[in-house]
Parts: sequence; C-alpha cells; structure tokens
Amino acid sequence: MSSSQLGYSNLGLGVGLRSTHFSHILEHWPAVDWFEVISENFLDSAGRPRYVLEQIAERYPVVMHGVSLSIGSTDPLNFAYLAKLKRLAREVNARWISDHLCWTGVVGINTHDLLPVPFNEKTLRHVVSRVRTVQDFLERPLVLENPSSYVTFAASTMPEWEFLSRVSEQTGCGLLLDVNNVYVSSVNHDFDPVEYISNLPHHRIVQMHLAGHTPCRTHLIDTHDNHVTNPVWELYRLAHQKTGGVSSLLEWDAKIPPFPIVHAEVLKARQYMAAELQPLNVSAPQSLPLENHSSATPPHPATLVFAEVE
Amino acid sequence: MKNQSLDNLQRWMQSVITHPGGVEAGLATPAARAHLEMMPADIEQVIEPSHSQSSIERLSIYAGAYYTRLIECLQAEFPVFRQTVGDDAFADFAIDYLQRYPSQSYTLAKLGEHFVAYLRETKPAQPGAANWADFLIDLARLEQTISEVFDGPGIEARSPLPDSNVPTMNADQFPQARLTTVPCLRLLALRFSLHDYYTAIRANKEVSLPQPKDSWLAITRRDYIVRRYQLSHPQFVLLDALQHGQTIGDAITCAAAIYPGQLDQLAADLQQWFHIWTAAPMFEKPFPV
Repeated sequence: MSSSQLGYSNLGLGVGLRSTHFSHILEHWPAVDWFEVISENFLDSAGRPRYVLEQIAERYPVVMHGVSLSIGSTDPLNFAYLAKLKRLAREVNARWISDHLCWTGVVGINTHDLLPVPFNEKTLRHVVSRVRTVQDFLERPLVLENPSSYVTFAASTMPEWEFLSRVSEQTGCGLLLDVNNVYVSSVNHDFDPVEYISNLPHHRIVQMHLAGHTPCRTHLIDTHDNHVTNPVWELYRLAHQKTGGVSSLLEWDAKIPPFPIVHAEVLKARQYMAAELQPLNVSAPQSLPLENHSSATPPHPATLVFAEVE
Repeated sequence: MKNQSLDNLQRWMQSVITHPGGVEAGLATPAARAHLEMMPADIEQVIEPSHSQSSIERLSIYAGAYYTRLIECLQAEFPVFRQTVGDDAFADFAIDYLQRYPSQSYTLAKLGEHFVAYLRETKPAQPGAANWADFLIDLARLEQTISEVFDGPGIEARSPLPDSNVPTMNADQFPQARLTTVPCLRLLALRFSLHDYYTAIRANKEVSLPQPKDSWLAITRRDYIVRRYQLSHPQFVLLDALQHGQTIGDAITCAAAIYPGQLDQLAADLQQWFHIWTAAPMFEKPFPV
C-alpha cells in the first residue's frame, strides 16, 4: 500500500460488496483490504443496506463504483444524482468515485446497461467536457472504467485505449482498468489485449477490476459469474508490472458463492504480483470453446438488495 | 451515413435494442429510421460485423440483455406475484410494463414503482365483485410496499415510544393526544386475504388462491426486517386515523363506530392493541395537546 496514482493510495486487494455477503461480513469482519460498493444501491437507502455500509465504512476503506453516471450520453447530466453521489462519498469517506466510459440511455430512459460509444473526435470532445463538469461538481477526479462491449461502430476512428488515454490526459481523470473487460472485448472485437494495456497511460490507472466471463459460441459475455480465467490473470500480471501495483478488486455478480471463496479468488492476485513477467500469449483464441451459453446475459452490477421479510 | 451524430446514434440504438420484437423488428420501425436514415440491410454502415458475428447478431446481445435483466429485477421485487402467475405470464406482464414505464431512474430500486398503476390501467373492465385482476393488484401492492418499507426510512437508530407510555399516559390527556406513527408504517386495505397466502408462497408451501375477502394489514420494520401484522377493520380504521393526525379520542370514536362488540370489550381490546402496536413499533412519540 505504498504507491499512489493521482494521489490515490494502493488499497490492496478488495472485494465488491454484495448483499448476499452482508451477514457474513457483519459476523466475521473478514481480513479484506477494502470494499467497493455500487453507489446506486446506497444513494437513497435508509434501511439495512445503508446500515451495513456505515458499519463497513467504519472498519474498511470504501470506494464508490457507479453504473448510472452515463458520461457518454447526450442527455443532460443529472445533477441531483451527482449531489447524492457527492454526499454519500463524504458520509462514507469514499476514497474515490468511479463509473464507466459508456452511456446508459437517452431521452430520459435508463436501460441499466453499459452501452459503448463510438471512439472519434466528436465523442472525445463530448466526454471530455462532461468529465470536467462532473469533476468540478464532485470536487475530485473521476475514475473511469473501460466497459466490456459487444459491438463496434463504423464511426470509430481510434482504438478504445487511445480514447481512454486522451480523456484521461485532457481531464486529469483516473482510469479503472478492468482486465477482464479488456480480454472480453479483445475476443469480441479481435484486437490485441496486450497492445491495449501496454498503450494506456499507466500512471493514471488508479484501480483494476478482475472478474469471470462466459464463453459463447461466437463471443464472450462478461457475466461476472465465475472464477477469473488464466488469460485474464496473465493480463493482470502485465498490468501490475506496468503500473507498479494499484488497488485491485474482484467483482462477482451472478451465481455468487460464499464470501470466503470470493475473497480467496482475489487473493490469487498475489501470485501474479510476485511472479516475474513472462512473455505473454493472451491473444484471442482462434476458436472459442464450443460451449453454447447462448442465454448468458451481461449482468448488471447494481444487483438489487432483496427485502428481508418476517 | 448521414445524420450519424452521437445523439442520433444513441437514440437509434436505444430504440432498436429495447424493441420487444428483437433487433430486426426494431430496425424496421419508423422510430429507428427517424433517428438514422438507413435501410435495415445497411446496418453495417453503423455497427461493424466481427469475424464471427453479423452486425445484427452483435446488437442482439444488448437487445436480449435489456429485457432479460430488467425482468429478473422485477421478479426479485415481486417474487410472490411471479410464482402466482408463472414465469411466462410474468415475463409478458414485465415486457408490456417496461414499454409503458421504461426506467427513468438511476436506481433499479425504482424499477417497479409504477407496476401497480400499470396493472390498474390495464385491468380488464369487469364490474362487480373482486376478481383475478384485483387479486394481482393487491399482491403487487403488498410486495411493492414491502420493498418500500425495507429500504426506506425507519427508526432503528432512534428511540421509539416506550411501551409504558401509552397505558400510563395521564387518563385526562389520552383522548386529546396525538401519536406520531413511525415513518416505515404502511397500512393496506385489500380485497383479498393475502397474509397467509404470501407467507405460504414465500415458504414454498402449497396453498390455494384466496377467495375475495376484505383484509387489512400493517407493514412496518424492526431491526431492518419487514414485519407484517394482520388487522381487523376497526384496528385498521383506528391506526389509519392516528396516522392521519387525528387525536387518540377521535380515532377511537372512528373505530368504535364499526366495532362489532360491546364498548367495555373495546376498552379491553384497545389496551391489548396499543401494547402490540407499541412493541411493533408503530409509534414514535406522543404529542399531548
């Protein structure tokens, strides 16, 4: 926990807080370095989710990760939402606030999906302007994550890594590098994930995400429902070497196992930090496994907190 | 491709992936074509194919996920409703609901906030006694209320009215006093008796559908767990009057008007009712006039 990127400390190895683990955490107070919470699940909560968050924030570093900022949307920014983000961050002493390079809807609708934008100069100007506005409002740097995606646009004129790098350089925002998303998108869009990670501005990477995905016949789906795969761990090893080590976090959003299994999964990162970087071969496979999970659905990390009823 | 501004592109993509008939049907709609002037066959001018998928197949991943994800969220908010109607019928309700009331909130917690209104608006016109549609509306009201109470304001961090306060309140003050109900208290008047049915379904027990019968429930929260209390009609009237700011005396008068027994029995019942409701807790603090 020594280095810092944009002044943000390396918090170590963390776990995404999910409601199925509330009772375990309150009972055992596991030796987790830090927790990331889905901002939207707590912005308006006055019930048990908020109580659990307060208990956790008293004992662990907390980072807020959002899914509805919609920084790439052409709809106006929602300042009431931003005000709630700012207030919650103050109340739980959030170390930083992150969201995704995406749009979630237009004309007032939220599809609750992380939809991709075309990577070109017009979109860049649009996103840069909005990131600056958000950062001015929040009075802190925003941290933006690369989403996994399933389409690319004919209107794109640059790769995603260049777009993200330029947003970061022009706004001073941090980057949340989701290495699983890089891998999923690299398979879906046939690009080299090593080139992607190698070209990012590593001093701006504040945090990394790890997660599992699901192979379908023709593509990968970012399901967050399984262990991290070897190619993703190899990309993590590369990113760790390039960044010098930043806060890393495991997301597990579907078929969520007991907390100790989730925690053990992120602790595997230690062996990839310690090992020497070997020549990597994590390019997209020529043919994907013939598993046909055609019904696999990209999860939404804002998993609902289900009511507990007597 | 003309008019491929970011705004047009996003409006086009949203209209296509949220079309209930799928991407190909969505591409052909006037709404989609109003945003991007293009024939569906020209989609590659907007969405690139990959080495293994066509443009339509790629876009269909988002289209499939949209309804699947949101239906799952609604299933989680209305689990008993879902079990009652079955998965297929629930999906039909949900898809129609999401078209009439697409989410406009940053939080999924509000996804189902118009579901009861939607059911009322689409209820078949059948005058007369309560029917299947009324049962489903009651069920949706109950489940939506439970969600609202679970994550809404409560009194766990505050001191509720001590049980001893009500019975020991000065007898002269009692009729003129007003009680503040806790913010998590909700009172439901229903056309079906849902309490036992809801309990059985949540416990995965076999149960027959209840017949029409007026019933009343109080929903509140203690220690962050939602609690349900069955009420008689006089109890509901009394609590409802107190919640609306009437004095204890006036509220009791309202309840007495429909109380089926003798007044001396009502006096004994009142003592027991207030004891249970205070322990629930349903009151915060008294406001003697």
